[in-house]
Amino acid sequence: MHEATLLLSRAQFALTAIFHILWPILTISLSAFILIMEAMWLRRGEVVYYHHVRYWSKLLVLNFAVGVVSGLPMEFQFGTNWAPFSRFTGAFIGNILGFEGAMAFMLEAGFIGVMLWGWGKVPRKMHLFATAMVALGSTISSIWIMVANSWMQTPAGIVIENGRAVVVNYMAAIFNPSMFQSVAHMWLGAMETGLCVVAGISAWHLYRRRNPEFFARSFRVALAALLVVAPLQVLVGDASGAALFELQPAKGAAIEGHWETNAAGTGASWSLLAWPNATEQRNDWSIEVPALLSVLATHSTDGTVTGLRDIPKEDRPPAIPLLYYAFRVMAGIGMLLAALGIWTVWSLRGTAGRLTALLSRRKLLLAWALCIPLPYIAVECGWIVREVGRQPWAVYGMLRTGDAASTVAAGAVWSSMAMFLVFYTVLLAAFTIFVRKWLAAGPDLLQQPPKE
Amino acid sequence: MHDILTTAWFGLMGLMLAIYVVTDGFDLGVGILSLVTKREEDRDQIYTSIGHVWDANETWLVVLGGAMFGAFPLAYAMLMEQLYPFIMLLVACLIMRGASIEFRHAAQHKRGWDFVFGLGSLGCAICQGVVLGKVITGLAPGGMAAGFTALCAAGVVAGYALLGATYLVKKAHGPLVVTARRHAVASLFATVGAAIVLSAGTLFSSEIGHDRWMDPGVLAILAPLALLAAFAAVYVLYALHIGASHGPFRGAIGLFLASFAGLAVSLFPNVVPGRLTLAQAASDGATMAFMLCGIALIFPIMVGYNLYQYYVFRGRVSHH
Repeated sequence: MHEATLLLSRAQFALTAIFHILWPILTISLSAFILIMEAMWLRRGEVVYYHHVRYWSKLLVLNFAVGVVSGLPMEFQFGTNWAPFSRFTGAFIGNILGFEGAMAFMLEAGFIGVMLWGWGKVPRKMHLFATAMVALGSTISSIWIMVANSWMQTPAGIVIENGRAVVVNYMAAIFNPSMFQSVAHMWLGAMETGLCVVAGISAWHLYRRRNPEFFARSFRVALAALLVVAPLQVLVGDASGAALFELQPAKGAAIEGHWETNAAGTGASWSLLAWPNATEQRNDWSIEVPALLSVLATHSTDGTVTGLRDIPKEDRPPAIPLLYYAFRVMAGIGMLLAALGIWTVWSLRGTAGRLTALLSRRKLLLAWALCIPLPYIAVECGWIVREVGRQPWAVYGMLRTGDAASTVAAGAVWSSMAMFLVFYTVLLAAFTIFVRKWLAAGPDLLQQPPKE
Repeated sequence: MHDILTTAWFGLMGLMLAIYVVTDGFDLGVGILSLVTKREEDRDQIYTSIGHVWDANETWLVVLGGAMFGAFPLAYAMLMEQLYPFIMLLVACLIMRGASIEFRHAAQHKRGWDFVFGLGSLGCAICQGVVLGKVITGLAPGGMAAGFTALCAAGVVAGYALLGATYLVKKAHGPLVVTARRHAVASLFATVGAAIVLSAGTLFSSEIGHDRWMDPGVLAILAPLALLAAFAAVYVLYALHIGASHGPFRGAIGLFLASFAGLAVSLFPNVVPGRLTLAQAASDGATMAFMLCGIALIFPIMVGYNLYQYYVFRGRVSHH
């Protein structure tokens, strides 16, 4: 009975989280992009920037709506489906979610009205401030969420009293060992998403030669930002990976399909591709590079990397092939996006960014358009690695997922999950229909800016 | 020290809940009224009147959820787990409402979204009323408790409709104002009626409620609050009668705040009467103090920019 509820509650959390994360990652980055365009408008006074602000805001409002409503189940699910988890972690996780609501959500919500409907009702600088607060609010939200999640990965600063976590050192709990790289990795991932969406949609319009001057501008801005963000993400990803082997060796070994701890003085080999077999405790087949895993995990050629066989079976993550491939897809996309940025710059070298040159690079434009889904896939794979890889723990090393679930009737969880599935399908369908209309309509270049 | 912090958090959460109930109350209320609003241009006005503030209003509920999870984790865990179906339905209704408000702008055929919006708003009010009723009756099973809970749900629907109708009296223009006045009178009588029956129920059939209310110290606070509520209700009628634009909404807020304060006084020091006290539900002192630093300090700022948003969109909704 409880087994069924546990499984369903996990499935429901996975479903709601996988669906929800799609939207805030675009809100975070698109609001930042709109902020840049609006600041340029105020600084340079060119009306094209104003048109960009209005154009991309239409996508933001559709995206924001789904983000807000799909976030609601997340806030309440900790209590409904994970009541023992809430009792155990409330003093810290509840505290942090309270901070997120008060400092981040309210900031976004308090200014989104002015940002979207306040044109002409407030001075231009006040409008810019509202846009800045929406962008800031969504970024602060991502920081607090990653503080909470990184604490679940690497809990610190607490003692357990009467079966409940009591915070004894707030700084240690907030700035827990994996906090900085978690925040940076997620925020950069969100930035990559929005920049790829803007660059991809602009490239698609350029490819079809619709409003080329307008879309060349957004393409250039997004490309310039991506050239910084994408390589930075590869570096942060590498640092997170190295830290992972130290902080959560079981997850590290699982995402690399690493079974045997390498003997002292030898390097652990890295597999490019393999099929991990949990029953046999080995890989059925693999394509290996000697010593590379030691280099990636410890940044030395013969560093010791603990294999899964040396981790007790009850502490190993499940679904090792899923973790193994989700990690590869994520990392592969991260490198692909960095490479696409570099290819673009290489291809456009010596053209001084002329529009005719940009329009003539047909394959490049098509590649950008086709890359729109990639950052989304990478973010989802990253979260699968993060959350499935933490299993069997809800709070790593402290609270097992099996002890964290509410004792509600399995039928109730079935029903709520089915309901969410239906709702999400409708939301996604409605969003797709409206975005297609928005794509077909293009920008309104006759729109007059509000008077000062 | 722990007692002071617990009481401070009860007070702060009470304040946030009061803000939530009044602000989301009126925008859920106009949603309920949209179900009985025939003309599409009137429904357009309803959306415009709340388009810029509904999200911030609803966010108070999210802030409350987080604050309760942190300050009273045992209460959060108990209520969410025990009220599973109602919380999930509430979330479902909030999703329907939020999505329909934003998607309606972009849609050509608005009727479908209007229906989702109205149904979601009504569902939210019913679920919130059920949660309220379940909390007051201490999550007790049985027919009496179920009846009390059902009446609570009806009371919340009527109360939100009252807030929504009086809000439209001051925000809308044209024939919608006339209908809103009529709806305000009807929902006022329904709200007051439900409040009287619920109070009588508490007094005569709930042992805990009866004991709490008969405590002389408590009675000394409750009696003036009841008077204040009665005065506010009469004032709403009077303001509607003389055709005031802002008076009815202010009176409805007064009625809500007085009833709400009475409810908070009646519950204190329990979260769920007979099941869980505030002290049992609370986090440790350090967490409550740390959270208080983080949230109480920015509370005035939150209220400030929310008021600014209302200020920017003040006045009646404009013609399109």
